Amino acid sequence: MSEPFTVTNAPLVCWNCHERTIGTHFCPGCGKVLQVPEHTDYFFMLGLPRRLWLDMGTLEQKFLELSWKLHPDNFVNATTEEREISLTRSSELNDAYRTLRGPVSRVEYLLAIEGTRKEGKTKQQAPPELLEEVFGLNESLDELREAKAAGSDVGALRQRLGTAEQGFKQKMKEIDDELQLAARKWDQTLDANADEGAKKRVMSQLNDLLNRRSYIRNLVVNVQKELL
Amino acid sequence: MGRIVGIDLGTTNSLVAYVDAQTGQPRCIPGPSGGTLCPSVVSIDPDGGIIVGEPARRRLLTQPERSIYSVKRLMGRGPADVQSELRLFPFRIDPSSNHVIRVKLGDKVFTPPEISSFILRELKNWAEAFFGEAIERAVITVPAYFNDAQRQATKDAGKLAGLEVVRLVNEPTAAALAYGLHEKQRGKVAVYDLGGGTFDISILKLISTGAGDIYQVLSTNGDTHLGGDDIDNLLQAFVHEQILQTDQIDFSPHGEIAQQLRKELIAIKHRLSEADSATLLFPLPNGKTFVHEFTRGAFEALIRPVVDRTMDPVKQALADAQLKPSEVDEVVLVGGTTRTPLIRRTVQEFFDHKLHTELNPDEVVALGAAVQANILDHGVKNMLLLDVTPLSLGIETYGGAVAKIIPRNSTIPASAQELYTTGVDNQTGIDIHVLQGERELAKDCRSLARFTLRIPPAPAGLPRVEVKFLIDANGILQVGAKDIRTGEQHIIEVQPSYGLNDADIERMLEESIEYAEQDFAERQVIEARTEAESILGATAKAQSNPNAGALSSPEHAKIAASIAELRQAVKGNDYKLIRQKIDELNRATEHLAELLMNSAVQSALAGKKLAEV
Repeated sequence: MSEPFTVTNAPLVCWNCHERTIGTHFCPGCGKVLQVPEHTDYFFMLGLPRRLWLDMGTLEQKFLELSWKLHPDNFVNATTEEREISLTRSSELNDAYRTLRGPVSRVEYLLAIEGTRKEGKTKQQAPPELLEEVFGLNESLDELREAKAAGSDVGALRQRLGTAEQGFKQKMKEIDDELQLAARKWDQTLDANADEGAKKRVMSQLNDLLNRRSYIRNLVVNVQKELL
Repeated sequence: MGRIVGIDLGTTNSLVAYVDAQTGQPRCIPGPSGGTLCPSVVSIDPDGGIIVGEPARRRLLTQPERSIYSVKRLMGRGPADVQSELRLFPFRIDPSSNHVIRVKLGDKVFTPPEISSFILRELKNWAEAFFGEAIERAVITVPAYFNDAQRQATKDAGKLAGLEVVRLVNEPTAAALAYGLHEKQRGKVAVYDLGGGTFDISILKLISTGAGDIYQVLSTNGDTHLGGDDIDNLLQAFVHEQILQTDQIDFSPHGEIAQQLRKELIAIKHRLSEADSATLLFPLPNGKTFVHEFTRGAFEALIRPVVDRTMDPVKQALADAQLKPSEVDEVVLVGGTTRTPLIRRTVQEFFDHKLHTELNPDEVVALGAAVQANILDHGVKNMLLLDVTPLSLGIETYGGAVAKIIPRNSTIPASAQELYTTGVDNQTGIDIHVLQGERELAKDCRSLARFTLRIPPAPAGLPRVEVKFLIDANGILQVGAKDIRTGEQHIIEVQPSYGLNDADIERMLEESIEYAEQDFAERQVIEARTEAESILGATAKAQSNPNAGALSSPEHAKIAASIAELRQAVKGNDYKLIRQKIDELNRATEHLAELLMNSAVQSALAGKKLAEV
């Protein structure tokens, strides 16, 4: 089933032979590498549908196939125009691979291009079910900082924080599992040709999970910094 | 377009190589003396002539204030960065140094890229003599862990040498290319590259597909100030301390004696790779001879800290590649320093794997550079190199923190975009500070450059400028800015934190025409004459030694005749004749040298107390 035209795969006019073309990276007419369009879409670049479950082997294969053709090494003796284009395209390709390879960055990217990525109202918004723990953690962190400044014994405090850190890491893992489930739901909406409402609901859920994950990740990072 | 050669611009030695069209194999190009190694040493004649390589290395002993070695350690760094090294390296930093180091050689001042360009020009000449055609394009290797400023300095050096640097290739990657071609291995490869001044560890995945071979770097790490030089310095500090105690002599690192000691210790170091012990016999200014026997055990204990320092980057690189040491299929050793048995044992134990040392560790990087040069020159379609940037790229944010925009070990080329606007009405410039490194605060990272976006006056918050940061295939940053509203490209002024700007380079290019741009044969004559000077001086000194009396009359006469012939040859312009006469004098003085060596040993032993023998 072919994708309908979206703004990201509108026809381009080849800079070299001036033919209208729908090639992704190369002009089917004259074979030259195509200039990069205004709006790029990592899924489209790699020839993949906007699904959240990706086979890593397929992803890598497509990445390597395109790398063969687009790498700047192929264009060392070519015109300046082609060299610049290949530089831009290959950097986009590498960015695309890097983004789509990570399960979390892939979700973030999808929501970004669908226009539904909304970060937490305030960066400091704790997930409600964790309020107590977060409060306790911040207290412990303050205590540790004071103890360090005063030069007093920090053994027990460090241990408490270490345990808290493990607890939050576990929470992150649980969120990652939930993210995977929600990601599959997204793919199912595509398969079932679901309506916009259903899609929006799933994306909202994904958005929420990302925000919670991001918040907890910051907590873990802060604890790790203090425990260094 | 002309042929592209591959160049290894090393800390200790530099080489130039090409791929033989007949055999498809890479080969190093020999210099006038027949060897493929060009010592990375530069010396300036009193009349301004530039001497590079083996002749310059000899000058280190006789005219250290006009000579410099290991200039690679200074590339892309500022004066503050090298302060701690000045105790051990006789770099004469000129007071005129600002953010770029300026080194004094004799009464002239040069920047590190200029000095490196002299070495590159020498290799360019070797290649031109070999091929009989002009060589104007090259692939030059750099340590994988070199930052942006260090890479740019290398490119600048190429430009100043009259070479278009078509690509900078990371040294471990080049070595992997050479081995991949040679050994046809596949799988996960760790390249441990310990040279004269830099250490790199790269983890690569080598894949064979229907389309060809892919060399994909998974991660890289290292230390751009760790190498054989540090081992030499440890030895030197040790001996220096001993001599201070036994003879109360404290000689400066800047003088001839220090250079002579360094030369002897390097020889000891090399011998200890083969033998279990090596004895240093060093004549002191007070007439005595300092004697010390180095056992391999003691040597290894002394240099252990250097070896240990290499293992942290190794562990980090494996962690970044998400691999355990046992998951690495092949381990390759690169760089002359990896001949040290302690290093081989340590690396072998860590990976629990046989080591690849089949290719000459001094040549393998140049050979790989040649392979890459060949790929680029002929659009070879069956090899793909996917390298990475070694350091995270970040932008300084409010409060002195760093926001990372391109993570380390990202495949290059790689890019990131940031959107900027103004905070104040009619603000005409936005300052961006770009850094490299893994730390959280800007002050702990490496400053790369400051960019200023020039913006036409407008109400605050109205301008929308998209800045694109792109790390190209050389690992060097390019920045472009576009006004979102108009689609126009913005002008960006770049102030590199540790490098030369375009105006500097243009000026240096003009100035370089002033330096005697001598033709090949002329330089050969100068080099041959220099070597003749050196051996004539050494012979005169040897002849005046009391022990020379043991020589027979015919031998003395032979030496005298040889000296006369060499003196005659030096007056002329036939460099081949001069070299021939040098060889003859060397042969004539062999016995004399032996005599002096034996008597030195004897007098040293006699000087020691009975209990010490």
